[in-house]
Amino acid sequence: METLRAEHQRLEKKGNLKKAVDDVQKTIDLLVAARDAVSADPTAASMTLAKLKNPVKQSFDKVKDDMQEVYSAQNRYTKALDKKFKSLNLPTANSDPLTTHPNLTNRAIAMHLLREGQFNVASTFIAEANAKPSQSNSAGVDDLSASSGPSASSGQDTTMEDKTWSQDFAGLTSDVDAMSDGASGLEKSTELQEKFAEMYHILHALRKEQDLGPAILWAREHSEALELRGSNLEFELCRLRFVELYSGWSDPDSMQDSQDPQGFTGPLRALQYAREVFPHFSNRYLRETSTLLGSLAFFPSLDSSPYKQTFFNDAAWEDVASSFVREFCGLLGLSEKSPLYTAVTAGGIALPVLEKLERKMGEVGGQWTSVNELPVEIPLPPSYLFHSIFVCPVSKEQATDVNPPMMMPCGHIIAKESLEKVSRGNKFKCPYCPNESHPREAKQVYM
Amino acid sequence: MAELTTTKLVPDSHLLLDQPLLRLPHELARKNFKNAQRAFERTRDDTLSSLDNATKATSNPEATLASIDAMIAKAQTLKRKLEAFHTEETQLHRQSRARLQHLQDLHDIPSLADVKYDEWSKVRLDRMLVDYLLRMGYTDSARQLAKEKGIDELVDIEAFMQCGSIERSLRHGRTQECLQWCGENKQALKKMNSSLELELRLQQFIELARSGDMSKLIEATIHAKKYLGAQQDPEFGLRAGGLLAYPADTMTEPYKSMYSPNRWNHLADTFVKTHHGIFSLPPKPLLHIALSAGLSALKTPSCHSAYASSSSNSSSSTTSVCPICSTELNELARNVPYAHHSKSYVENDPVVLPNGRIYGRDRLMSMNEKIGTAEGKIRDPTDLSQEYDEMEIKKVFIS
Repeated sequence: METLRAEHQRLEKKGNLKKAVDDVQKTIDLLVAARDAVSADPTAASMTLAKLKNPVKQSFDKVKDDMQEVYSAQNRYTKALDKKFKSLNLPTANSDPLTTHPNLTNRAIAMHLLREGQFNVASTFIAEANAKPSQSNSAGVDDLSASSGPSASSGQDTTMEDKTWSQDFAGLTSDVDAMSDGASGLEKSTELQEKFAEMYHILHALRKEQDLGPAILWAREHSEALELRGSNLEFELCRLRFVELYSGWSDPDSMQDSQDPQGFTGPLRALQYAREVFPHFSNRYLRETSTLLGSLAFFPSLDSSPYKQTFFNDAAWEDVASSFVREFCGLLGLSEKSPLYTAVTAGGIALPVLEKLERKMGEVGGQWTSVNELPVEIPLPPSYLFHSIFVCPVSKEQATDVNPPMMMPCGHIIAKESLEKVSRGNKFKCPYCPNESHPREAKQVYM
Repeated sequence: MAELTTTKLVPDSHLLLDQPLLRLPHELARKNFKNAQRAFERTRDDTLSSLDNATKATSNPEATLASIDAMIAKAQTLKRKLEAFHTEETQLHRQSRARLQHLQDLHDIPSLADVKYDEWSKVRLDRMLVDYLLRMGYTDSARQLAKEKGIDELVDIEAFMQCGSIERSLRHGRTQECLQWCGENKQALKKMNSSLELELRLQQFIELARSGDMSKLIEATIHAKKYLGAQQDPEFGLRAGGLLAYPADTMTEPYKSMYSPNRWNHLADTFVKTHHGIFSLPPKPLLHIALSAGLSALKTPSCHSAYASSSSNSSSSTTSVCPICSTELNELARNVPYAHHSKSYVENDPVVLPNGRIYGRDRLMSMNEKIGTAEGKIRDPTDLSQEYDEMEIKKVFIS
């Protein structure tokens, strides 16, 4: 990288046409001087011209040298580039799902833009994509070269793709049921946009204005759904509110209140708030609410109390904000980070491995996209593992729906096919412990 | 044995996708320079030869003055041109510098787990999106996204716009724009042995022959003689000759497909391919390459399973939703291969519920605490309807 940057610096400094421009100006000066000489003394015209010839030629040679310098600087940079990207070829997988499913790709992008809060770009994109749905790049070629198209593999999807992709926004949001079936796709993307607009509105209030109001309102509206998810969000928000009132942050009145020299207003407001709100939490958070109220006893020296953690936690706001995003997306059935981002990043990490694989497989003539399972393991950072993975210790195969994990009475788990092979339908010994059992006793488990 | 996970960042191999980022502005700078060079050489040769002529015939001072004036004018034009090339060059250099800096940023990041890597990767995603939008012809979206993200220096809007407008003109049945482009890139086309120009000339011929009109047929013959005859590949001349014998509605191949309006699409595709070839742009959007690799790397058999996954789903707040299971990508990933794993990867201390669902004990317990299950009872987070006795959960062994 250093060489490359050095060469580019050199290119910027020496490899430009500035000098050439200046030297052309010198040539012009020569010519102008000659013109003046000729017009001043027409009789000496031939002399002047004869004398002019060499300097002009030299002057042009100078420009040529300048150009040569640019040329060589460019070449050096080219070489540095070649060296940097020596062995890197892009994998050429010709049957990737994005080419065969342009509509799904567009949908994924639109949703990504919406979730990132790029509402303007998203609406431009949806309009453009609807006006010009999925340019079929290969259509022409396919027609010429007969039936070599990718259509074979995507047969089952065609009905789905016949609709405009933005119609797929239907069913995305948990409460679009109210919408009639005939609603157009665009309206549904507007739905989603409104959802995310709401999310950004609440987030903005949380992060920028330290205003819990909109978030608490939202959490209360979705109280039941959140509870089923086992989410603490609503309580966390209210707890933060309590702390906020207690310390009198967001309330300019209490700061200036002259009748309140000891600053009791805060704790009093907090107490009042607790009385209003906390009964709602009594079942699940009885312990937390009562400890929170206990803090009133420690006023005002909270920083030396056991409540230090709760009251002086700078990260609290950010924690609440990110847990809000997670719950909000979770209720929509979406992951908290943009899947497009996660997948593309994982792709960036995976590609060097796949590129090497393709080089190796290219020799025997195969492609990684044409198999059921990748032939190599791709190490990703731990945060990119989402599901539990079961690899049968006997067959070393990953469990699937047709070959699910089976648990024997001893608690050991192997894949169904392995179980059938090992037992052959008879009573058999567990491959991992002395326990014997009948295959009938094995039970399918779900990871 | 390969490692299961890694956070190691190897910048050099990581830049697999980023070669075009530096190549394109450089190719443009080279083309720019070549044009400058050609302009200079022409003016120099002209000036020197007219200087020679003027020296030989000096009888008339006025004529001498006029020829010097002409030389000055030419030199001034050259200077103006070079200045324009210089401006263009400066801009391209600035672009390259910004891109080098962007790649350098990656080299300064210690590991894949670093926050900075996330940021870098976000910028990369935005670049890829703009690249994709441009290639699909969604120019306004591309511009807007680049502007909002402030990555104008990192994307090639102009290059793709030009490419797109020529492509469109071909799809609308016009050869003129593309022929002009061929003229501008003659050297490069020759170098890569492209038959694009011949194909275009052949198309012009086909259009002349289409009507079957006698005068047009003659014109077509002349056209063929001029453009298809003298070339190194006699195939084109032969095909053109054969075509004259068939009317536009023929069923005979290859003439049927030569007359087909689809040939324009074929030309447009060929042009785009050639264009990308010359400027070292990958034939497919980078997003396709990266995303399809990523889909496979992340996909597990659970992602399209008929059974809800215990480990990653939207019904519980203790797990984050897997990106492949999320609505955006789920359908798209249906037909890609899933990632290979040679070892099981499960939560710590796995236990099984009577309904066969497996959870990590800690997570199951804390989840139940949060949803307020009664003491001594356990509920399945993905199916809250059933309540089990805590004694019923059983340890399982997964090796």
